[in-house]
Amino acid sequence: MSGNGVGRRDFLKVVGAGSAGAAVAGCSTDKVERLIPYVTPPEEITPGVATWYASTCGECAAGCGTRVRTREGRAVMIEGNPDHPISRGGVCSRGVSALQALYNPDRVAAPLRAGPGGLEEITWDEALDLLVDRMRAGGRSLFLTGKKGPTEAGFLDGFVDAVGGQRVIHDALDDSALRRATDIAFGVNTLPRYDIAAADFLVSFGADFLETWLSPVALGADFSAMHGVDHGTKAKFVFVGPRLSLTGQNADEWIPARPGSETQIALAVAGELVRRGADAGPYSELVAGYGLEDAAEAAGVEAEALAALADGFAAGSGLALGPGSAGHHETATAANLAVLILNAAAGSLGRTMHVDDAPGTEASSYGLVASAIRDMAAGDYGVAVVSGTNPAYSLPPASGFRDAFARVPFKVAFATTLDETSALADLVLPDAHALESWGDAIPSPGTYSVRQPAMRPVPLYDSRPMSDVLLEAGRRLGHDYGAATFRDYLRGAHDAWLAQNGEAAGLVGDPGALWRELLRTGSVSYTDATPAITALQAPTTAVDFRLPGFGGDGDLTLLVYPSPRFGDGTHANRPWLLELPDPVSKVMWHSWVEMNPATAGRLGLRSGDVVSVASENGAVEVPVWTYPGIREDAVAVAMGGGHTDYGQFANGNGVNPMALLSDATDAVSGTLALVSTRVTVTATGAWRRLTSTEGSSDQDDRNVTPAVALSALGHTAEADDAHGAEDAHGQIRELQEGGGFRPVTTEGLAEDFPLPGSDFGEYDHDGPRWAMAIDLDKCTGCGACVTACQAENNIPWVGEVQATMGREMHWMRLERYYETVDASHSGPLDIRFLPMLCQHCNNAPCEPVCPVFAAYHTPDGLNAQAYNRCVGTRYCANNCPYKVRVFNWYRYTRENIPEPMNWQFNPDVTVRDNGVMEKCTFCVQRIREAGNRAAVEGRDVRDGEVRPACQSVCPSDVIVFGNIRDPESRVASAAGDERVYRVLDEFINTQPAVHYLKPVTHHDVDEGGH
Amino acid sequence: MKRLWLGTGVAVVPILFAVALVAGRQAPEGGATTDVADDAGQSQPIQFPHDTHAGQFLIDCQYCHFSAERSVDAGIPPVATCVGCHQAIPGRNDPAEVAKVLEYHNSGTPIPWKRIYKVADHVKFPHMRHVAAGVTCQTCHGEVQEMGVLEEMAPQAGDLRMGWCVSCHLERDASRDCTVCHY
Repeated sequence: MSGNGVGRRDFLKVVGAGSAGAAVAGCSTDKVERLIPYVTPPEEITPGVATWYASTCGECAAGCGTRVRTREGRAVMIEGNPDHPISRGGVCSRGVSALQALYNPDRVAAPLRAGPGGLEEITWDEALDLLVDRMRAGGRSLFLTGKKGPTEAGFLDGFVDAVGGQRVIHDALDDSALRRATDIAFGVNTLPRYDIAAADFLVSFGADFLETWLSPVALGADFSAMHGVDHGTKAKFVFVGPRLSLTGQNADEWIPARPGSETQIALAVAGELVRRGADAGPYSELVAGYGLEDAAEAAGVEAEALAALADGFAAGSGLALGPGSAGHHETATAANLAVLILNAAAGSLGRTMHVDDAPGTEASSYGLVASAIRDMAAGDYGVAVVSGTNPAYSLPPASGFRDAFARVPFKVAFATTLDETSALADLVLPDAHALESWGDAIPSPGTYSVRQPAMRPVPLYDSRPMSDVLLEAGRRLGHDYGAATFRDYLRGAHDAWLAQNGEAAGLVGDPGALWRELLRTGSVSYTDATPAITALQAPTTAVDFRLPGFGGDGDLTLLVYPSPRFGDGTHANRPWLLELPDPVSKVMWHSWVEMNPATAGRLGLRSGDVVSVASENGAVEVPVWTYPGIREDAVAVAMGGGHTDYGQFANGNGVNPMALLSDATDAVSGTLALVSTRVTVTATGAWRRLTSTEGSSDQDDRNVTPAVALSALGHTAEADDAHGAEDAHGQIRELQEGGGFRPVTTEGLAEDFPLPGSDFGEYDHDGPRWAMAIDLDKCTGCGACVTACQAENNIPWVGEVQATMGREMHWMRLERYYETVDASHSGPLDIRFLPMLCQHCNNAPCEPVCPVFAAYHTPDGLNAQAYNRCVGTRYCANNCPYKVRVFNWYRYTRENIPEPMNWQFNPDVTVRDNGVMEKCTFCVQRIREAGNRAAVEGRDVRDGEVRPACQSVCPSDVIVFGNIRDPESRVASAAGDERVYRVLDEFINTQPAVHYLKPVTHHDVDEGGH
Repeated sequence: MKRLWLGTGVAVVPILFAVALVAGRQAPEGGATTDVADDAGQSQPIQFPHDTHAGQFLIDCQYCHFSAERSVDAGIPPVATCVGCHQAIPGRNDPAEVAKVLEYHNSGTPIPWKRIYKVADHVKFPHMRHVAAGVTCQTCHGEVQEMGVLEEMAPQAGDLRMGWCVSCHLERDASRDCTVCHY
């Protein structure tokens, strides 16, 4: 900066003087801020220091272990618990978003009674009196609940028995067909346990085990252990089904079988194995009658592909999963049974699939729900209690639930938020959220996982846990449970269980000490002596293995599937999830119908055309999204949209495909058939821009996610010469490893800079250099990292209108590129995922273009953004080749985030206002926190001590973060892998600090990695 | 959503806005620890004499500001801390003020102290790092042990502005990287 003219500093001084008035008003000097101390300090709280609670996720029945971070008594973040034997440090987007249910502005604030003017607030005393009176006098009670933890379930069943009634479990993600099939095959009504990690050949018959099927986090962790390359080997995964879900997109091969044909394929492959000498027990004769040719014909695929399946099973340790939602048709039990038989024939039983001889609890069943609906309609119930399920939304209107429910004289709903079902109730009792209440889970035999509240109930809402309310109601009805609260009940059950089983389970010791240890770790492993079943048994029930029928006369089969973001719709009132791009379509906020491009072409449609999808039961209007990963004869719509009475975020977004379904069921298990109807698709003439983050599904030869073939591993140029690039990029390497650039000292004001003895302006020092490694071979594209990042870093959502303009604020996104996707025949599948975040380039294009030095490089290797310097020119974003910088066009954090959702804000991260650019910081607040801790303790930051939010939820252990200068660190070792590359680095020399490891394919890829 | 556009007009406009916005940007507070009240001019609810406690009786600062060496927050003493001593000590100089403390405690009401020291919301000031580095409390807060009731920042100490922070960091050769304090 020369002495002539107005220097930058002088300019700012002038501007500063001119804006003094505004600045002073902003500083609030006319106000006094109060410091409010505790009267009596809570033992576990130190102001400014996070308190963590080990707990169990309550968002679905899987029972994953979580760690909830609280600050000054408020839950602010949910992470995976690495000590949990089931989830092993992972948690999904839905689990993280529990925070938005906890702090949801639509929560019920007080007990509500239906009155002439709608629901009116009453006191808890009045509510309890009403509940008890009606239970005493109202006739039989129907308890319609979601799946509950074992102790709560036991308590509930006891309560229901005492008051006289029946409990029916409804879960729209029904697993009763699999239970029924297991009952038929093995004689015990339970769910098999799958050990994917032990398999080297995995076939999924449409089971979306990375998204919604059974226990996605645990199965995802197993999958990455199995499917990630390890010492030159990598297991193979084949997906069989009409539509590629996210799980399907991770497959190495796709057999695009016709909807409903998985039974034929599984039986035929089992038959082929039997013909080759395998044993399918009492089913050997049956399956031997199924030929590959016939099955291929029925499925519309090639017989060779099915023969290859048999080869795969014959060659090693195979495992077949499924069927998933695509198999929920009118012969769903048969389809499940066929896959179990295939597993038995393939020798999976006892190796990769285990069946415990113990009936599972908490079995949902639409069959029982349907019979309860009939009984309600017939007037058999005086009281209906609904909790944790929303049948008025998640059942097809054809089920008749609404009418039948309306005929129950007294309807009670325990609800955190009003939904379509509780809106119909006579009494609504505000339920505490899972993060505020006690519970437990047995996610797998031998693991007991406890859920402890992470905070007191949000004080704005006068909520109470249902179990506590029923304990009180039970007391008033004259029953004694020996516990004042459900916490005491749970503790009592724990101690009683220990007294009875502790020795056999290997848990010996003082129950109090064991309990405290359980609360500290969140779960305990014990010896479970349940015997395993080792062979198929002769069928006792006649099962019809024929192809299912589909109603209607359209030419496209409708696939209704649970949404990876919303499940059955339960999680739809959470803006994080609404704005999380769907892992498959990358669409946010609204619904879409998936259609093969060839089908769309035939109908004259393109992505964004709003069509009417009509069945004989109803019709919905929804935009088309063309997808090469779905068969030409099928269309798919996800569950979860189209809420009418749920909350301010969910209502009016998208459509509910249940409107298209009939009440057709699988005759054997009673499972609701999700794939039961054909539809016609007709254009409405309207078009809308899809709210999507999918810029391009094609890499356009930019080679941003190059792959390496399994056969080439060990022979790559990098492996041949680990430092092969050194000559050409010697200087670059020196910069990457040696501490970055040393900018020339600017003249500045000579008398000020550099000050005597200062090293200002020199980045070289001995501290850490932060870097990240992302293993694309393990990444499944689930998007948990995106939600975790949003939760940790106070990232606002922008809403559908802004997001449609491309203004979503995520600091991370998952790119998804199609390499090989062809629904017209079986073959290799190659879809690549790329988690994209700020690359923290050592030679960052954003930094030199910032006129105010807001974007700059820190001595420890971060590309920093000083918010208080940023003036919003957006030059940096325009110059960023990775599109990872996002701009606050409006006051999103103030105006989009209603009280009390802002209670979730991380107090360690500045909340940005409009006019400011922001992007991934490598979770600098965690780096600084660890640095502060280490400095106070007089040591260096340990490897693994800093875990960015994305890493701390990833179910697949994809992300590694650390100090790349430390040769012993995990990130340094990952960066030395032969698969390592840096995105676009070879073209534009940005020298990113994020090191990607190439995905490994079973098929050959060309030199460019395509 | 309100549509407030930025970045139009001459270059000065966004800069003016940015200054105002940065100053007014609110960081979230973790609990009911702070509260903004429009009651400027009022004195402290308790006439707490730092000179009596820290000066005359040589009570260590961290006896009351209990988390300064392990947290970013120094900690405001819970009312129970005051009562710990004052249930036995009536307070020779001003028993009426001590009685007020006991009244707060007995009624379960926190004392609404007037906040004197505060860095801007976009600044992180980790107390423990400064304590660990041997910076005395007095360096920033002045000779508190010689002051009576604190109603304003000590004039001889700093102004808590960035230039003042940086000058000390320069003197002590501490990091001047932006992300040490701003993130």
